[in-house]
Amino acid sequence: MANITKKVSWSSRGDESGGGERTPLLNGSEEVRYSRQLSGDGGMFHIGRLSTVDLEEDMTSDEDSVRGCPKEIPHNEKLLSLKYESLDYDNSENQLFLEEERRMSFLGFKCLEISRWVICGLIGFLTGLIACCIDIAVENLAGLKYYVVKQNIEKFTEVGGLSISLILWAVLNSAFVMVGAVIVAFFEPGAAGSGIPQIKCYLNGVKIPRVVRLKTLVVKVCGVICSVAGGLAVGKEGPMIHSGAVVAAGVSQGRSTSLKKDFKIFEYFRRDTEKRDFVSAGAAAGVSAAFGAPVGGVLFSLEEGASFWNQMLTWRIFFASMISTFTLNFFLSIYNNKPGDLSSPGLINFGRFESDSVAYNLYEIPLFIVMGAAGGLLGALFNTLNYWLTIFRIRYVHRPCLQVMEAMLVAAVTATVSFAMIYFSNDCQPLGPDQSEDYPLQLFCADGEYNSMATAFFNTPERSVRSLFHNPPGSYNPLTLSLFTLTYFFLACWTYGLTVSAGVFIPSLLIGAAWGRLFGILLAAITPNGSVWAVPGKYALMGAAAQLGGIVRMTLSLTVIMVEATGNVTYGLPIMLVLLTAKIVGDYFVEGLYDIHIKLQSVPFLHLEAPATSHWLTAREVMGAPVTCFNRIEKVGTIVDVLSNTSTNHNGFPVVVPVAASDDLGKICGLILRSQLIVLLKHKVFVELARSRLTQRKLQLKDFRDAYPRFPPIQSIHVSQDERECMMDLTEFMNPTPYTVPQETSLPRVFKLFRALGLRHLVVVDSENRVVGLVTRKDLARYHLGKHGLEEMQLAQT
Amino acid sequence: MYIFQVAALLIAFLYYGNAQTSTVAVNPTIELSADGLKQLAAIVAPVFHPSRGSYFSLNLFSGFPEDLEVSDYCVELLAIFGQRYSTYVTCLVSAARPVKVCQNCYGSYDNLMDIYTNISSDQMGPGNVSCRDSLLRSDRLMLVFLLYNNLEDIWTGSECNSCVSLGLHSLTNDTLYFMATLNQSLRCFEKFQQGNHSALCKECKATYRGLNELYSRMEKNRTLCIDIEDSMNMTRRLWSKNFNCSFPRAENVPVIAVSSFMLFLPIIFYLSSFLHSEQKKRKLIHPKRAKSNTSLVNIQDRLS
Repeated sequence: MANITKKVSWSSRGDESGGGERTPLLNGSEEVRYSRQLSGDGGMFHIGRLSTVDLEEDMTSDEDSVRGCPKEIPHNEKLLSLKYESLDYDNSENQLFLEEERRMSFLGFKCLEISRWVICGLIGFLTGLIACCIDIAVENLAGLKYYVVKQNIEKFTEVGGLSISLILWAVLNSAFVMVGAVIVAFFEPGAAGSGIPQIKCYLNGVKIPRVVRLKTLVVKVCGVICSVAGGLAVGKEGPMIHSGAVVAAGVSQGRSTSLKKDFKIFEYFRRDTEKRDFVSAGAAAGVSAAFGAPVGGVLFSLEEGASFWNQMLTWRIFFASMISTFTLNFFLSIYNNKPGDLSSPGLINFGRFESDSVAYNLYEIPLFIVMGAAGGLLGALFNTLNYWLTIFRIRYVHRPCLQVMEAMLVAAVTATVSFAMIYFSNDCQPLGPDQSEDYPLQLFCADGEYNSMATAFFNTPERSVRSLFHNPPGSYNPLTLSLFTLTYFFLACWTYGLTVSAGVFIPSLLIGAAWGRLFGILLAAITPNGSVWAVPGKYALMGAAAQLGGIVRMTLSLTVIMVEATGNVTYGLPIMLVLLTAKIVGDYFVEGLYDIHIKLQSVPFLHLEAPATSHWLTAREVMGAPVTCFNRIEKVGTIVDVLSNTSTNHNGFPVVVPVAASDDLGKICGLILRSQLIVLLKHKVFVELARSRLTQRKLQLKDFRDAYPRFPPIQSIHVSQDERECMMDLTEFMNPTPYTVPQETSLPRVFKLFRALGLRHLVVVDSENRVVGLVTRKDLARYHLGKHGLEEMQLAQT
Repeated sequence: MYIFQVAALLIAFLYYGNAQTSTVAVNPTIELSADGLKQLAAIVAPVFHPSRGSYFSLNLFSGFPEDLEVSDYCVELLAIFGQRYSTYVTCLVSAARPVKVCQNCYGSYDNLMDIYTNISSDQMGPGNVSCRDSLLRSDRLMLVFLLYNNLEDIWTGSECNSCVSLGLHSLTNDTLYFMATLNQSLRCFEKFQQGNHSALCKECKATYRGLNELYSRMEKNRTLCIDIEDSMNMTRRLWSKNFNCSFPRAENVPVIAVSSFMLFLPIIFYLSSFLHSEQKKRKLIHPKRAKSNTSLVNIQDRLS
């Protein structure tokens, strides 16, 4: 998010450009030195709530010492990266826009509304289709892998040499994962992880580079197939959400920049505001396809993403979700040779909880709450461990080849641990009549029995979850379950954050289901007639909910997703209580996993509200100053210089009219964006040229849309020496009514404006409407409530 | 207080309602399963028990008009049904353990099915009467239907259809072949049973494995019935538990070695990347700010 604050102090170039650059403000020197942050290793300093401020403090002494040598610190969570920019959610109501609106007929607006619905339908359809492809591919690849390994194990159980089977398994795993990790690490690092943090940021208004590109989608889909087939402790549900979002961003634009293909449709939607709405529909469609939970999808978008919401949008998003789950259903039914049977609504199917086993009693509610608390504790432990691991990875494992190696190692170790567990397990269970195990391994069990540990490890995680939910009581013995929980917990924690595309939903559910089932079994053992009501499957479900809630800390949407995925409304109350407790307990220790990763990515994320105890901060302290401004009629040379100044990568420039000759501060009359200026320069909209060539085509809003979203960099635009002397009239193109606030506005007020209106730049003016500063997203996001009160994050280059 | 009373009353009402419905719903099934034998006995012996005679006589002899009575033909059919029913059930009980319900009782099931088909067909018997309505569905209990249905469930549950050829006249060839193979294995077991089991494991392995393969083939073709499944289960248990012929866990050392090698790799990886990879540093950037911030920081400095 380029803005004023990016100006680097040791550069002298910035001083030459811009309107009010050299003006010392508020009787101080123009640069701010943070003496504390430079010496401290954590790079933090605290702002106490101080009422007396000594403005006369002289601080030139250490200013010189640090000038010129940029301080470098190790990566930590309290940084804001310069890489991220804000999205332009605020509509620029310039004259072009007004003209277009005048030209557009009533019918035109109706058509827009219809095309919105069409797009949502398409989003749902394509998302469902992608989910279907992923499902089929994973099923077949994993099936093939398990078949080969099973044959091998059976062969070697008899003649000896099981360590070869172990190596075979590990190698197969590593090979799959290598493919997945290579495409992610070398082609599109943005596709790593579950993608939910990225989509969360996008919907919050942060432009994450390349997050909604077609390439990301391709890499994501292939990557997730590889990593699930490679037997990592991951799920394919999280990436579905990202995939849905990319589909939405692509479809709604009616073109693909990567494929250089423009269908000339949906041109009206080529701006951030419209795109954001579609992306939230895409995310919802993704959730819906992943869990077969259309309502859950809508609520997920609402809870995780949308700072911006209205009823019509909700209805459209719901439409997209429904279409998505229906499409998945339909195509899977064809794949399973039961066309028309619409009974497999999601990627993960929890199966149905039916008959008497679903009933729960009043006295079980406290037990559920205890489970919720346990889930919160375990989730907090998971997040803390993963936090340290991620920091280590960012600091030391940042080269792509190292990342690929790490992923392969994890895959190999996963196979090894699983094999060792299965090998040394003594838990043998008779084969059921309905053959619920897909790959039963006999190993050293008696004939007609299978190794119970193998159902948990020698299986795709989805199937393991289902068998934990639904296998009849007695299918697992407590020792097996506790060992499984322990190993899988650490494996999943180790796996999340690798450079592969993979989600954390399923592993969390699996861990939770395992200890939940264990809890149920113990309960049945220690209570009189416990075996009647303590059905292990029920407790497995509650454990899964608790663990997932403890890790990701979602509330409303997760409740609905779980209820929808199990198809059982009766469990609504217990699941809600469990998630509630898990969140309360977990939040006491550490944030949710996605928030941790957002922080570690140094994303300027705006939370729901400004940090408490920040009312004493005013816009004057928050804003960046001095501001680079343009005049209404500005010399082309000046504009080009400002734009091409690499140290001040500003994106918005207030347009001012000078008040008096003596005063450098100009009166605000508009705001113009970098992207607009670049389009203007590209089309050479100069005053002189317009005079000489009367027939020149007038620039339209369409020209700006065509360049969206990848505006060319300033370096690619050639401006000759003659043209530098020309003038440019910005009146027509600037936003004539930008939002402004007085200097005394408190931080929470500014925050609310940003959050509610989706602003990117907020001009701070004095009593005479003169521009004194500019507030941007990073100026607000840097304040957060730490252990010692209000803390401030630093900007860093990443 | 009043509210509590009302609530208690309501709850009591609810419970009462529940109890009512549940008894209504559950009773017939219980009656059937528990009193099945008694009813059976009643059917087998058409002569009424003298001690109960007084109760029944009242009902029986009060007499209904002619057209509501069950015709003689139907009573006759009912009696035959009763006989065959009892034959089949006796057969089932005697073949319960080890399970031989398909091979021993398919004949009597066939007979039973015949008579039931006869009863339930809608073609008219002598005297232009159809026994279907009068025997099967003229009362709430529908006893004949229930009785037959129970046995049919047993038949379906045991999947005897896969072992008995169509028309229920004989066992299928697959089944006979399986029996032969099974007997072969069992003879082998018998031969080597005395003395060392390891000899048995070695000698009978071929026949046992042949049996196992045959079984899994049949499993795939879905030509298994409970008889085969049970006998296979027993054989497997003999083989694995009694004779202890399953595979021993003999390769602990290589597996442990390979596993620990694998587990060692990541430690090396992380250590080396910690030691050799340069740490990623972030360049800090100082934003332009107005003066007042500075002062805050300084004061903070002095305080701390």
